[in-house]
Amino acid sequence: MKGGIVALCCENSGWKALASLGDDPVLDGVEAVRLPCSGKAETGMMLKILEKGAAGVLVLGCPKDDCTFLRGSARAQKRVAVARAALKDAGVGEERVRMEFISSVDTPRLAEAIRAMKAALEAHEGKA
Amino acid sequence: MITAVRKPFDEIRDLVKGYDRLLILGCGTCVTVCMAGGEKEVGILASTLRLADQKDGRSREITEATIERQCDREFFDAVKEKMAAADAVLSMACGVGAQFCGEVFAGKAVLPALNTKFYGTTEGPGVWSARCSGCGTCVIADFGGICPVTRCSKSLLNGPCGGSSKGKCEVDPANIECGWQLIHDRMKLLGRLADLEAVQPLKDWSTGRDGGPGRIVKEDATL
Amino acid sequence: MSDTQPQGFKAGSNLEKVLAAGHFAVTAELGPPKSADAEAISVKAKFLKGAVDAANITDNQTAIVRVSSIAAGYLALQQGIEPVIQITCRDRNRIAIQSDVLGAYTLGLRNILCLSGDHQKFGNHPTAKNVYDMDSIQLIALLKKMRDEKKFACGDEIRSSKKAPLKEPRIFIGGAENPFGDPLEFRAARLGKKAAAGVDFIQTQCIYDMERFEEWMRQVRNRGLHERVKILAGVTPLKSLGMAKHMRDNVAGLSVPDYWIDRLAKAEDKAAEGIKMCVEQIERLRGIEGVAGVHLMAIEWEDRVPEIVKGAGLLPRPVV
Repeated sequence: MKGGIVALCCENSGWKALASLGDDPVLDGVEAVRLPCSGKAETGMMLKILEKGAAGVLVLGCPKDDCTFLRGSARAQKRVAVARAALKDAGVGEERVRMEFISSVDTPRLAEAIRAMKAALEAHEGKA
Repeated sequence: MITAVRKPFDEIRDLVKGYDRLLILGCGTCVTVCMAGGEKEVGILASTLRLADQKDGRSREITEATIERQCDREFFDAVKEKMAAADAVLSMACGVGAQFCGEVFAGKAVLPALNTKFYGTTEGPGVWSARCSGCGTCVIADFGGICPVTRCSKSLLNGPCGGSSKGKCEVDPANIECGWQLIHDRMKLLGRLADLEAVQPLKDWSTGRDGGPGRIVKEDATL
Repeated sequence: MSDTQPQGFKAGSNLEKVLAAGHFAVTAELGPPKSADAEAISVKAKFLKGAVDAANITDNQTAIVRVSSIAAGYLALQQGIEPVIQITCRDRNRIAIQSDVLGAYTLGLRNILCLSGDHQKFGNHPTAKNVYDMDSIQLIALLKKMRDEKKFACGDEIRSSKKAPLKEPRIFIGGAENPFGDPLEFRAARLGKKAAAGVDFIQTQCIYDMERFEEWMRQVRNRGLHERVKILAGVTPLKSLGMAKHMRDNVAGLSVPDYWIDRLAKAEDKAAEGIKMCVEQIERLRGIEGVAGVHLMAIEWEDRVPEIVKGAGLLPRPVV
């Protein structure tokens, strides 16, 4: 899978969970970006990252009923939906942007989510 | 911008006759640009009313204020106290702002000082003309960037009627250019005259006013 | 009028048959009254009977309220005149228009002229809302769709119920053209659009400038349009010098060369001279390749139509 995954992480949840994975090989090719809240991630940012060569963008936010900024991760989810629709319009694959709701301690789920995304991106690459 | 013109003074005076504490509220956006309802125009109307009141021996409190826009809720915060102190607001915003003002201050008498006209552009100092009708399905790309719905008096989509003469529309040759002459000339300039020979099909008017009061919901911005 | 489709004809109207047989066709205009006066229609129809192949029944012309074209057309039909119904786009949306077309057909009317319609500001109800749901070219295309595809604008088949047979209105479709309107270089192209949309015949605005008309016909012939569309040249006899000057000075886009004014000025009996000039004009028009007939607009002078048609050697009208 060329290009790697850029993970836009809420510092309260995704960032901490990612850190807990340490140097687990599942993190190979994953570059993490720290945000005060997943709600800071903008649609335009997600698309620009892909334009610059990343294979995928993974937005990691707090579970919706537990967001420090109340509605941040819910907003991020909508923005991811817009980015996916744009990718579909451009014909380059909606699966390249994804959102996961991960609490700071839920490392198994995070690892699984990253694996699933890599698999989806490889499959997409195979088709392309 | 949305353009408007001020209502005749007599009509305004009649609208506000029952009120003793009037706030004349201007709008700093579209109607400032077309010089109908901005701060300057608020001042003119307020002075005219005060002079008229003076002549009639009527003592009435008339306050003035202008906010950035009357179509967005947050700008009204600046005038909350003035609104509360008035028994009526004479809004110098376009029809949108004048209505929204009444929604934001439910129960307050809000009266329109302007007659809203069209979506238009500033042709030159003091001259504004229509460009768009908000039909909901923009087709100007088919016509060299000129809207036949708005700029043709009959909204014809397939070419001029018999009333086009020397580039003017027979409906008002002094003021209205023939939209189809404009389209023809532009398409000729663009080397696309042949495109005008395609028969344009019936328009779907339901995307505009004919479909009912408009409403847009942008999912990713709602919560 | 028979309901079954005559062999080989689109509508089987008298006008269609006369044109198809290659005769030089004659149509005239009948303006309905501005009141609920059925008698007035009969009076006008009487003048035209036998002198024309069909007569246009105008549709709230100049946006002045008159008896509707279909109603007046039906009354004219009772008097033995074949009507050309007019439908403008100003007053009716696609629902009303399609309804009117069905209605006209059920009443035996077979020719329909499609017009954009004068803007309401010219008439007696300038504050009315205008419609213009479609333009004249889209209207032509719509009538063709109803007749040939047997479908409404929305795509529904024209049948009363799922099991009922198709029962489409079979109309001979007309349009109008102004050879002298601006933009001048677009006029022949515009006729091309009407032909593409499916127009069967067109009538032009009244002509005085024969040179310019001949130039327009040349452009029309270059595009082969005269072979696809039957073109009837419009003429209006001049009643007086005043009328001639009014046409020259006050009617936008109408070019009236000096020769009309000069000849009328010199004549003793101006009305008679006007008729004479009209007859000469028709004879000249007959000689122009691609002109299939004449459309005589003798405004408020319908009683002179038979005399003009006779003078031009066009009586009796053919029976087809």
